[in-house]
Amino acid sequence: MTAERVFAVGGWSDVAITRHQARRMAREHGVEPRRAGEVAIVVSELASNIVKYGVRGEIALHVAAGSGGGLALTVVASDVGPPIHDVAVAMLDGHDDRGPIDPALLAQRGGLGTGLGAVARLADGLEVRQESGGKQIIATFFRGLPGAA
Amino acid sequence: MATDADGGIAIQETRLTRLIEALSYASIEDYDSCLNLLRNLGTADEFAELETAFTIFIEELAEAKRQLRDALAETEVANRELAAKLATIEMQQAAIRDLSTPIIEVWAGVLCLPVVGIVDSQRSAEMTETLLETIIAKQARTAIVDITGIDVMDTKTADHFIKMAKAVRLLGADCIISGINPGIAQTLTHIGVDLTGIRTLRSLRDALQVHLRETEQLHPGRRAEGES
Repeated sequence: MTAERVFAVGGWSDVAITRHQARRMAREHGVEPRRAGEVAIVVSELASNIVKYGVRGEIALHVAAGSGGGLALTVVASDVGPPIHDVAVAMLDGHDDRGPIDPALLAQRGGLGTGLGAVARLADGLEVRQESGGKQIIATFFRGLPGAA
Repeated sequence: MATDADGGIAIQETRLTRLIEALSYASIEDYDSCLNLLRNLGTADEFAELETAFTIFIEELAEAKRQLRDALAETEVANRELAAKLATIEMQQAAIRDLSTPIIEVWAGVLCLPVVGIVDSQRSAEMTETLLETIIAKQARTAIVDITGIDVMDTKTADHFIKMAKAVRLLGADCIISGINPGIAQTLTHIGVDLTGIRTLRSLRDALQVHLRETEQLHPGRRAEGES
């Protein structure tokens, strides 16, 4: 039961396509609807961030047997954009990577500043890898997936 | 053709004129007229070899030019197709954005925002902006946000939905949220948001009925449709 799909993300329609395909892929592997919806939200948040900050990038979805015997689903968001200035701050709701977002500017900004926070809440694991020339955000799911203990 | 004492050659002037004429045709890219002049000359001497070589050269040039023209034409067709496809993609992108927040004026002054698919923080922010702007533009008194199609939301996004409902009230309109499913209900109570002043109803149908009944009470005998 190993599968991998990669989606190029360059614009908002790619975000819509990728989140729909992510939910479909999770459902095809027997993930129940609510959890598949959570996978799709995570994919959507990460893809939105690529469009907003990442210049261009891609979302890779892997499904494989996890270490616990159940299924593990991994979302890898890679982009060539600038690094996240402060990952810990960016994780906070209502913050971007440099600090709190002025609520008065929310409307112009597009988005609530809660995307990475949502990823951290909904996924079971989150890892941020930053290198010169790009970054990778890796979200993993195993809780509530088929075969999970 | 004859060779004189100095090694120079003499040829009929007509042959030279013909060659010059052929060259002038070639210079204006009229290769057919050029080659017509050069074919089947029937003389076999050294000058004829030059004429033949010239003919071959012109034939190759004509062929190369023709291929170039064809290639350019093909590229232009491909470019036009690409431009058409890009235009289609742009239109589809606009359509997708519109579809993500389809606000329908179901009655005069009553807006309905049916939310379907996956809602992330980005969509949630866009919906709020569009709904608030539309309430002002349409002078709406009631906004019904139907989330029957949503089975899961991040807690912060759910919280933002409630804030959107409160913002609608600040604009002087009522906001009804309909179709909250058990999962979303648990999310909302889990984060402990203040639901005071937020009206929630089981379904879009209930929301519309409630609105109609209240309009009837406010303006007895008047039907909601005739209000505008």
